[in-house]
Amino acid sequence: MPITLALAGNPNCGKTTLFNALTGSTQHVGNWPGVTVEKKEGSLKGKRDVTLVDLPGIYSLSPYSPEERVSRTFLLNNNAGAVISIVDASNLERNLLLTTQLLELGIPIVVALNMMDVVEKNGGHIDAAALSRRIGCPVVPISALKGKGLKELGDTALSAAKGGIAPPPLAFDGEVETALQTIQGLIHGLVAPARERWVAIKLFERDEDILSQTALDPQQREVLANTIAACESSLDDDAVSLITDQRYRAIAHLTEGCIARAQGRPSISDSIDKVVTNRYLALPIFAVIMFLVYFLSVTTIGSMATDWVNDSLFGEFLPGALTGWLESIHCADWLISLLVDGILAGIGAVLGFLPQMLVLFFLLAVLEDSGYMARIAFILDRLFRRFGLSGKSFIPMLIGTGCGVPGIMASRTIESPADRRMTVMTTTFIPCSAKLPIIALIAGALFGGAWWVAPSAYFVGIAAIILSGILLKKTKLFAGEAAPFVMELPAYHLPGLKGVLVHMWERGKSFVKKAGTIIFLASGLVWLLSSFNWRFEMVEETQSMLADIGGVIAPLFAPLGFGDWRAAVAMVTGLVAKENVVSTFGILYGFAEVAEDGAEIWANLQAAFSPLAAYGFLVFNLLCAPCFAAIGAMKREFGSARWTLFAVGYQTGLAYTTSFCIYQLGTWISGGGFGLGTAASLVVLAGFLYLLLRPARRTPQSLATT
Amino acid sequence: MPLTLASIGIPATIQHIGGKEKIRHHLESLGFTQGQAVIPISRIGGNLIVRIRDMRVAISQEMACYILIEEEESR
Repeated sequence: MPITLALAGNPNCGKTTLFNALTGSTQHVGNWPGVTVEKKEGSLKGKRDVTLVDLPGIYSLSPYSPEERVSRTFLLNNNAGAVISIVDASNLERNLLLTTQLLELGIPIVVALNMMDVVEKNGGHIDAAALSRRIGCPVVPISALKGKGLKELGDTALSAAKGGIAPPPLAFDGEVETALQTIQGLIHGLVAPARERWVAIKLFERDEDILSQTALDPQQREVLANTIAACESSLDDDAVSLITDQRYRAIAHLTEGCIARAQGRPSISDSIDKVVTNRYLALPIFAVIMFLVYFLSVTTIGSMATDWVNDSLFGEFLPGALTGWLESIHCADWLISLLVDGILAGIGAVLGFLPQMLVLFFLLAVLEDSGYMARIAFILDRLFRRFGLSGKSFIPMLIGTGCGVPGIMASRTIESPADRRMTVMTTTFIPCSAKLPIIALIAGALFGGAWWVAPSAYFVGIAAIILSGILLKKTKLFAGEAAPFVMELPAYHLPGLKGVLVHMWERGKSFVKKAGTIIFLASGLVWLLSSFNWRFEMVEETQSMLADIGGVIAPLFAPLGFGDWRAAVAMVTGLVAKENVVSTFGILYGFAEVAEDGAEIWANLQAAFSPLAAYGFLVFNLLCAPCFAAIGAMKREFGSARWTLFAVGYQTGLAYTTSFCIYQLGTWISGGGFGLGTAASLVVLAGFLYLLLRPARRTPQSLATT
Repeated sequence: MPLTLASIGIPATIQHIGGKEKIRHHLESLGFTQGQAVIPISRIGGNLIVRIRDMRVAISQEMACYILIEEEESR
């Protein structure tokens, strides 16, 4: 018989670690609240017919954020056999708040006391047996990280699901309990008996969803309204707060005598926080860390390995060996060209940057695992608030440095819809790992590997986000205050080498997979179109189909300084995957022409681009519409094609105008003379400044809240 | 007095939580309730990190304004 078990708990209490341990999968784990934003499924190790569902972390079942809604809908509608309520034992009382709500659902519950090892190491103790007797459901102490107690937890949850006996909901006291009894009387027979308590409490809390689903007649509704109002005025608080207060009281009663707390000494996390969130040091520390991440991955360790791969492996060794071998078996010329000049050149150009990406992935995994991530959100909140964004917007952006798709999804932890939309729109301005090869290529070829190019790309991204924040907040679409910020900060811990390596490997693997599929196909196509003319005769590139196609778009980019058809084609292929920009360059600028010097492409690029145009090209590619996968993710988060179009249009427009100004003004300043383009770019710049500096719209709503 | 004015490191007790219902309820489910002890750990540009119920919570100035506290007598 197939059984579904659900895993529910507060954010960052170890749900996904437990999920991975129980199912043997490698879902993304991080040390910050909100890693899991969508529910994930897997089957229990050794038991194929048991499905385990990992729900996003929530503090309560009253929907405040989108994740809370996902979890609640699942628990109410998909008859789970049992719910494993995972609680962080080192913060038991707050974590049990959710458990008290789960107890009311009429589903068998098993409480998993996670991080018991941490509690015991600090000298604390929790009497699980006594707690189990008082709550009325099994309580299993575990350590998800160390794999302790998991077998027992799995068995207990299975037998609970098979037994099908739900624990009794907690009884409250005084007037609140009396009111709930009245409501339970009203709905008796209207809802499933097991859900009676849950529905009564939600009706008491005036939950709109539940009210509309319950078939009460007008008279009953009036009794309900009067009961709530009477209780509220008598106790001088609103219904939801009354219930929460009752829950905390019940929890205090449940845990009394079951917990022996560790003697409070200042924790290491508090001491670290004193330094990294210090009001003077916080921003400089953050800037140094981000600089190091980019500097290390692009310039030092990463580039040493990349140089070898590019110059030796894909520059000389592989093309030479492959050509030699193909010639020795008398392969057709066109096939040799397809394999060597097309596919090997395309994929090689991209795979060459794998070492740099791996270093970036490694450093990002360390950042995520250490617990610093949540602090960054906090540190940047004041700063971002001035630009109309909340500090929580930074987490999607930091995730976005790895890949824009999960970055865009991470925006779901932001409560205000306006902030969330703005974050979705601006997240991809931060260079993702697929844009890293473009940055590295431009930095290497046009700027002699200058140390400042890669970090500057990163700061251009931040500047685009900040300026867009200011500019968009002043429009009607995004007006209003940023949502107030409140976020739990996880304890710091030393990132485990294994976890970090798994992280790096997972991301690296999906990149290699992309190289083997999308980039492989795109490279083949680019080679095909660039080697033949419209009558399918093999010709020089400049007479090929691709040259014609690129030639149509290229004039558009002439004012930006790169009106070359190859650059135009590279940008279009970049829509499929940003790595394609480099792979297309590899093919079109003859990366694999088996030159003595593997860096031949660099010389060719130097001939085609002036440094100014190249930097404009870089900026354009950083800011313009992201790849199709990210556009798809944007559409999912917006839930609207119009918003998506608007966002993509804004991104591309911003990219074009910025790049235009860089090239035109740069040419003028460096003594290139004042022309029509210069004048036009000054007009654009003035318009941009006006949009930035004009007074903010004052909406009635923002007046009301001030 | 509002939590925003609290001195760093001095234990305090929450007296009252005001503000819009939705935000107040979210604060409550995070553990900010009347009578709860809270210790401010760090402050940056008006935003605070506080220790409450064995955990650290970062909270913005706007929200901290709504939380009224009373500091314990400094020993």
